[in-house]
Amino acid sequence: MRGSLKSALLALGVLSAGATTAWAEPGVTDTEIRIGDVNIMTGPASFIGQAVSVGSKVAAAEINAAGGINGRKLVILTEDDGYVPARSFQALKKLIEVDDIFALNGTSGTANVLAMMPLITKANLPTVVTTAPNELVYNPVRPSVFTIGASYETAFFAQLKYIHEHNEPKNPVYGLIRQDDDFGVAVEAGYSRAIKELGLKDGIRLKYKKGQTDFGAELLQMRQAGVNVLANGAIIASAANVLSEARKLGLELQVADVWSEIMPPSAKLLAPAGYSFFVGDYIASMTDPAALSFLERTKQYMSETDRQAVNRYSFITYAGLKVMAKAMAACGKELTRACTVENLRKIHGFETDGLTAPISFDNAKQLGGTEVKVYQVNLTDVSFKTLTAYTQY
Amino acid sequence: MEYFALLLGSGLVIGATYGLVGMGFAIIYKATGVVNFAQGELLMLTAYIAFSLTQGLSLSFFPLLLVTLPIAMVLGVLLERIFIRPMLGEPAFSIVMVTVGLSVILRGLTIMIWGPDPHEFPIGLSSAVVHLGPVPFYPVQLYALGSLAVATGGAWAFFRFTRLGIAMRAVAANEAAALLMGIRVDRIHMLAWSFSAAIAALAGVLFAAMFKLGPTIWFEGLRSFPAVILGGLDSVLGAALGGLVVGVVENMAQGYLGQGLREIAGFVVIVLILMVRPYGLFGDRQIERV
Repeated sequence: MRGSLKSALLALGVLSAGATTAWAEPGVTDTEIRIGDVNIMTGPASFIGQAVSVGSKVAAAEINAAGGINGRKLVILTEDDGYVPARSFQALKKLIEVDDIFALNGTSGTANVLAMMPLITKANLPTVVTTAPNELVYNPVRPSVFTIGASYETAFFAQLKYIHEHNEPKNPVYGLIRQDDDFGVAVEAGYSRAIKELGLKDGIRLKYKKGQTDFGAELLQMRQAGVNVLANGAIIASAANVLSEARKLGLELQVADVWSEIMPPSAKLLAPAGYSFFVGDYIASMTDPAALSFLERTKQYMSETDRQAVNRYSFITYAGLKVMAKAMAACGKELTRACTVENLRKIHGFETDGLTAPISFDNAKQLGGTEVKVYQVNLTDVSFKTLTAYTQY
Repeated sequence: MEYFALLLGSGLVIGATYGLVGMGFAIIYKATGVVNFAQGELLMLTAYIAFSLTQGLSLSFFPLLLVTLPIAMVLGVLLERIFIRPMLGEPAFSIVMVTVGLSVILRGLTIMIWGPDPHEFPIGLSSAVVHLGPVPFYPVQLYALGSLAVATGGAWAFFRFTRLGIAMRAVAANEAAALLMGIRVDRIHMLAWSFSAAIAALAGVLFAAMFKLGPTIWFEGLRSFPAVILGGLDSVLGAALGGLVVGVVENMAQGYLGQGLREIAGFVVIVLILMVRPYGLFGDRQIERV
């Protein structure tokens, strides 16, 4: 009797375990869907992670206010990686194994996504990469990873093409200064493409170590080479110091800058040098009508702290979660990772209300939103003038 | 020739900041025998304090220094009393490790208080470009050169003519003998930290005004370290000169020889000089009789 009861309980256990694995999906309950976000919440680059976090939070709040995904509310779980790849891996491991997430929307920087890639692939975790549109992320293609954004190469090509066609000085000589790392290599690729495809005169190419502050000698080299169009691949304070040194030497320059310089803290540093610089970006600038409309539409979901943290990274992560939500919604009540991945693969022309170009993942690279706008800074109020529509380069 | 002069000018400017930071290192080493690896962070923290003062009180350069330097000196005293004094008598390595820990604490504290965003740091000086012959300067850059000259002259006079300066030299030469002669060695240590913090503040204000204020400014401490080694770790004036030499050599190497050499040129010079003078250009030769 005891033996048969034991067998019956065991059989029941096996059956119920089988039943659970047959329909339950990690991170999904009857009432909620857990979305992970690994990001830079501390350290010098935390302005990125905090903005990303606001983007996810606002998108989730908006979706939840509209009834959620087939009745399930979105819950965002954020882990700080401090921009350290090893910590990104640990953070995602925790999100998967302890917090039981269903999908991933925040993915930190390029090296960080790559560090997390084995976990993403193993779990077939639906992942939208919004802040690291680097070729290393989408080549080779990982089945569950979808990327939004243009590369630095495309952004620099777009700006230099615009300068060449609309703002080129007399006797144009182009020059490049860039960081001595992967990011700098991508910037140089855009510069090289412009030189080659547009037949520009390549005056000088200079590299510098990340963190360098003094660019006196480099700008003198630029002057010696007769450079009057500068591809400034330096970022934040370094970019400002490059332009400050150029101003000191009295260089008349057309300047192409990195898209991060469109953000207020950077733009304020660059503006005093007096150069009306260009940026190319796949995301709307803060003064773009699409951004202003977004801010108005979503203000009810943001605290004062959130509003101060908003920048371009908020817009793109917002768009990332929206596109993920569309794929999840198409699965109906029987939400699975496999179904979400399948639906993400079908995304075509997803409208983000101008925050990016329409997003399509139905291509070999699972890469969308690669069209770029060119902006120019207005030095009086450090706002940005939109010069082109989203264009594929 | 003009190109040479321009490279020299910009080299001297960055060299002046190396020199000022280097002097801070040398003062503490000279008095205590400890390399303070938190010197860059001291520069960072005092620069941020000065930044807050300019924001709150709209102080221009000299009034800003009048307020910032005493605050920095008090900060130096506090750091010495809290972190270094309890380590007196412990191995030098342990004290150095305390300064390493202190550097991490100060860095974290600064970012926690002021945040990660970089800032423009106007200190009430004109941003009009001034030409000395063919060489353009921003006024703040001339102030940096002037500050190094004043700090160097002041340090020379202090060590040569004042009782405290002579006491400091005595402690540096032989701490035990100085103690037996009635010199309060602990006070000398405290004073060294206090002066070093003041010079760090001067360097921090000028550096941030020239190159922006940001959470990576602490790195200037490490970047200036070769200047101290070149001048002699225990030579305050040598560190100032070493800074200028390293700044000029870096710029010349970049300007004439090409990219990437800026980073290694200063170290090449250091290696060559240390091979000839192991205690640096102006460091004291230490002879141990066995």
